Amino acid sequence: MKPNLMPNNPKPIEAKTKTKSKKKLSERSIGYLLIAPAMILIFVIAIWPVFQSFYYSMFDLRLNNPAKSEAYTSYKVNLHTYLDNYPFLINSLEEEADNATGKTKEELAEIQANLEKIDSELKKDSELKDQYEQVDEKLMVMKPVSEELAVAKLDKEVALDLEKTVDDTTDRVRELKGELENPDDLIGLSSSLSDSVITPNFIGLKHYKENLSDGRMWKAISNTTVFTVISVFAELVIGLAIAILINKAFFGRGLVRATILIPWAIPTAVSAFMWKYLYDGQNGIVAKAFEEIGLFDRMTDLLTSSNGAMFSVIFADVWKTTPYMALLLLAGLQTIPSSLYEAAAIDGASKWKQFLKITLPLLKSSILVALLFRTLDAFRVFDLIYVLTGGGPANSTETISILAYKVMFAQTNFGEGSALSVIVFICVAIISMIYIKFLGRDLLNDK
Amino acid sequence: MNKKAGPMFYVFLALFVFLVMFPFLWVLASSIKPVAELFGDRAFIPFTDNMTLENYESVFVNYPFLKYLWNSLVVSTITTVYAVLVASFAAYAIARLKFKGKTFILGLVLSVSMFPQIATISPIYIVLKNLGLTNSYLGLIIPYTTFTLPLSIWLLVTFFRKIPFDLEEAAKIDGASLMQTYWRVILPLAIPGIFTTAILVFISAWNEFLFALTINTDDAYKTVPVGIAMFEGQFTIPWGEVTAATVIVTVPLVIMVLAFQRKIVSGLTSGAVKE
Repeated sequence: MKPNLMPNNPKPIEAKTKTKSKKKLSERSIGYLLIAPAMILIFVIAIWPVFQSFYYSMFDLRLNNPAKSEAYTSYKVNLHTYLDNYPFLINSLEEEADNATGKTKEELAEIQANLEKIDSELKKDSELKDQYEQVDEKLMVMKPVSEELAVAKLDKEVALDLEKTVDDTTDRVRELKGELENPDDLIGLSSSLSDSVITPNFIGLKHYKENLSDGRMWKAISNTTVFTVISVFAELVIGLAIAILINKAFFGRGLVRATILIPWAIPTAVSAFMWKYLYDGQNGIVAKAFEEIGLFDRMTDLLTSSNGAMFSVIFADVWKTTPYMALLLLAGLQTIPSSLYEAAAIDGASKWKQFLKITLPLLKSSILVALLFRTLDAFRVFDLIYVLTGGGPANSTETISILAYKVMFAQTNFGEGSALSVIVFICVAIISMIYIKFLGRDLLNDK
Repeated sequence: MNKKAGPMFYVFLALFVFLVMFPFLWVLASSIKPVAELFGDRAFIPFTDNMTLENYESVFVNYPFLKYLWNSLVVSTITTVYAVLVASFAAYAIARLKFKGKTFILGLVLSVSMFPQIATISPIYIVLKNLGLTNSYLGLIIPYTTFTLPLSIWLLVTFFRKIPFDLEEAAKIDGASLMQTYWRVILPLAIPGIFTTAILVFISAWNEFLFALTINTDDAYKTVPVGIAMFEGQFTIPWGEVTAATVIVTVPLVIMVLAFQRKIVSGLTSGAVKE
């Protein structure tokens, strides 16, 4: 312990600096304190899941298969499944042996002995034995068994031995089929017993390897790219044109602004369904109009042909987001001083030249920001396509998010679906890095 | 800005407004037609002699549509209140206090807001399922944080920054503590910005689809967008009900947009425009 040299005699100057530094410190710590809840939430609910997705993507994870419903890195045994089958299997084997004669009887006895041997092997581990007995007790009195209690870690050798013994039993019982009274019962019990062995489902980067060599994944990437590039480009051009045209004082600004906001404000899923009605092959007014003006040969082409479906999806997206784009660009336009245009007009610059030399350069950062957000939104597109075409016909509008969703929730293959969603994440990260590089340079040049 | 608008301009404007509004107008016209007139030759005639509200009735009688509306309202309101509250502390600290790592935090918030939802859904789904939170309000409120919190922080930081710093200095000189300054000086001035943020966050929560689709599959907990999207029957689509439901969802939004358009526009363009 260090003795305090001047416990009761702090100099006044020191006291002053002390309170000052304390105040500074407190502002900083209050700052961290205030951002802490938000940061913790963002970390737990947004950042952790991305890493977890990556972790899951390295496992053969299938929610509908009990032996693969979790990410297992080591061998385990499900004692619930085991004890649901093992005692009955032994009983049945004994009964069959009682009724059998000669060689069959010997064989059955041997099978039973093998199973009992591996059962005692299991119980050698005291911790496992303890768990074994607890589960057994609960099953006896028909009480529910929790997942934690049921699943126990197992040595690799024991697990492989158990698996081999059980598989062996199934094979041998099958061979004896003709000589037994209830062979199907035995086979059923024995194959259920084999489900109790949980083997690690870690498969490394196999999902990525498979996906990267899978035509459907590349088709989805190309669909997403086509959708993103065409719709964002159309939105930018039309949005810019509208923004320039309405960048003036006129009667009814409020009404126009509200009109612009409505498509943006309604749920995408609802607007997608609305367009589905308008595109309908028999009764859709927009489909009818497109047929009349000769854009499509038949009304039904719109949602049932590959090109028609892609066009429909892009058209609906352009309708929904162009107004939003126009709004962002209009806000940018309004920061450009009109004196610039007046000066240019005096110097005899044409409208087109004014657009190229004044509007575009000064609007550049607004355009890039709008493009960044729109590109990322378009690349993640889900609701619109899910409701409008479901990815069809023949996967012609299936984007990468739709594919990942289908693999996860229709096929319940969470491992592969997670791999796909990580691929979406990486694509989005690359796109934003490219934009931010442009934006960053642009912002730096201004200084 | 001082350019005068000519008559041609108004023609163009009217055309533009009509094109943007056409799908809604058509859906509105369809929703009051008898079902039989939605098919065949009468399908392309916007007017009907037999105006009816039977589609609207059917939406509420044959579908749990009121329940969907209620679910959406509960989830969006709670999400908005809690996201804006948590974000307002963080945004205040980032905008007004001095500490290290602010730029990094703001960059982190911005990148999280760009996360594709599909990249977070598998762990979130599995965790919620294990906790028994699928088919509950909390099951949506929790994952909605992923996009509402970054959005709120981002918007609120820009609003908080616009409040003059002199006021804070004055409060400090008068001996107000940091929290007093926040509650008495900053917050009252930030109310318009907070309100704008709340509107935008509410709309984004109300419109969310992917989480709602996967997490709350039970009719009792479905939200409006998912509910309408699932109107689809196995063989036929009940267009009459779909159009009526679309109108029911759109009308409140139109009213909201008309009432708050200035705020919404200021929220949408803040941060996107360099000042």
